[in-house]
Amino acid sequence: MAEDSRLDPAAYLDRLFDVIREEARQNPKFADRLVKAMGGQVVFEDEAKSAVANPYLLAGNSTKAHFYSVFAPMKTNELKKILRDHNLATPLDLRGKSASQLLDMLYERARLKITERKSSYF
Amino acid sequence: MGAVIASIANLKGGVGKSTTTVMLADGLAYFYGMNVCTIDLDAQANSSQMLLTEIGVQAAYEQGKGASHLLKQFMNREPANAAPLIMPNAVTLEELRLSEQQDQRQGWVSILPSHPHMRLQELDLEEEWYSKAGTPTQLASALQAHFSEAFDHLRPLYDIILIDCPPHLSPLARAGLALTDIYITPTIADAVCTWGTKQFSDWIGANIAADLPDRNFVVITRFRNTRYARQVASELKELYLNDRVFGPNIPESVHVLNAMDRAAPDSYNTFRGKYGGVKGDVRRLAERFYEFLAKQTGQKWQKIRD
Repeated sequence: MAEDSRLDPAAYLDRLFDVIREEARQNPKFADRLVKAMGGQVVFEDEAKSAVANPYLLAGNSTKAHFYSVFAPMKTNELKKILRDHNLATPLDLRGKSASQLLDMLYERARLKITERKSSYF
Repeated sequence: MGAVIASIANLKGGVGKSTTTVMLADGLAYFYGMNVCTIDLDAQANSSQMLLTEIGVQAAYEQGKGASHLLKQFMNREPANAAPLIMPNAVTLEELRLSEQQDQRQGWVSILPSHPHMRLQELDLEEEWYSKAGTPTQLASALQAHFSEAFDHLRPLYDIILIDCPPHLSPLARAGLALTDIYITPTIADAVCTWGTKQFSDWIGANIAADLPDRNFVVITRFRNTRYARQVASELKELYLNDRVFGPNIPESVHVLNAMDRAAPDSYNTFRGKYGGVKGDVRRLAERFYEFLAKQTGQKWQKIRD
């Protein structure tokens, strides 16, 4: 006789949340989306930070000092990846730049984009 | 209490204004039993086509119904009244048709359809107006006065009027926008639509509604679940339009395209059959917009279907 596969509501929810919890642990981007959807504020550390840090949101919603405090500890390759992933630079733009130059480029270009796209009336 | 006027508008074309109009009309009628009147002010006539089919649009025009006849009223200096120009049955959902048949109407959709001929009419009107040294702004004001009176005849008949606006600022479009209580802004999560939405927001704010953020409901449409789209959607919600209320993201889907292609003017489908894989998205759109509407107006409707 086949095993009865019916679950009571609590067991069903436990299984669902276990999967979500596990995915959130392993996937910082998913965790970030999940937390944002719930309106929460969560601090990501170390390597997770580069996966979820959004230069537009940080340049637009926080101070320049905070922006630099988030991105300055990152390595050159991480900064290059963020610049590319957010359409803020081409591989050509990135060639031969130091970490400090990349950091300045990240901030200035993100600010410029925000100025172009954010309403000037509101 | 009279119907609220909500405009579905964005200066950027191709962002899903007509699709959003139809989804909202269906969703509000189906889930909340609302009497919805859609007004198509776009000469492309897309929402008219989606609700009536091409044959239906042509038949309405030939029967003297639609927005082009409203424009004719204005041009001929006739009394303003949109009620006789309405196509009362723009229902495509079987559940609504059946409840009507059983004399238990729970939700209905009517339409003041558009027609491609309206483009030429607008040109004629503008040519005549400008030849008498009138300005576009004066024409927009005169049209606004005519439409306001014409729509006053509709307000007692409906719970909500949804205006599908064209993606430009012609006098006709400006007249519609000026009569609006709630602005629904569909946009796509990409760079060009983000910029287009900013232009729209700035213009409306500066010229029509300085309190736009309080009256603005934004819907991200044609959403493709990619890293780039998620990133831009997040920026829209948290940075560029962080002072607005957002509806759910409507996915880019073949189900949406199918839902907007009515088989024939006498063809009906169940809600589930029409929207298939996006039925949950349409339900969430209706629910979120309903919450926004109830907060804006203080009016409440019972949810009648799940």
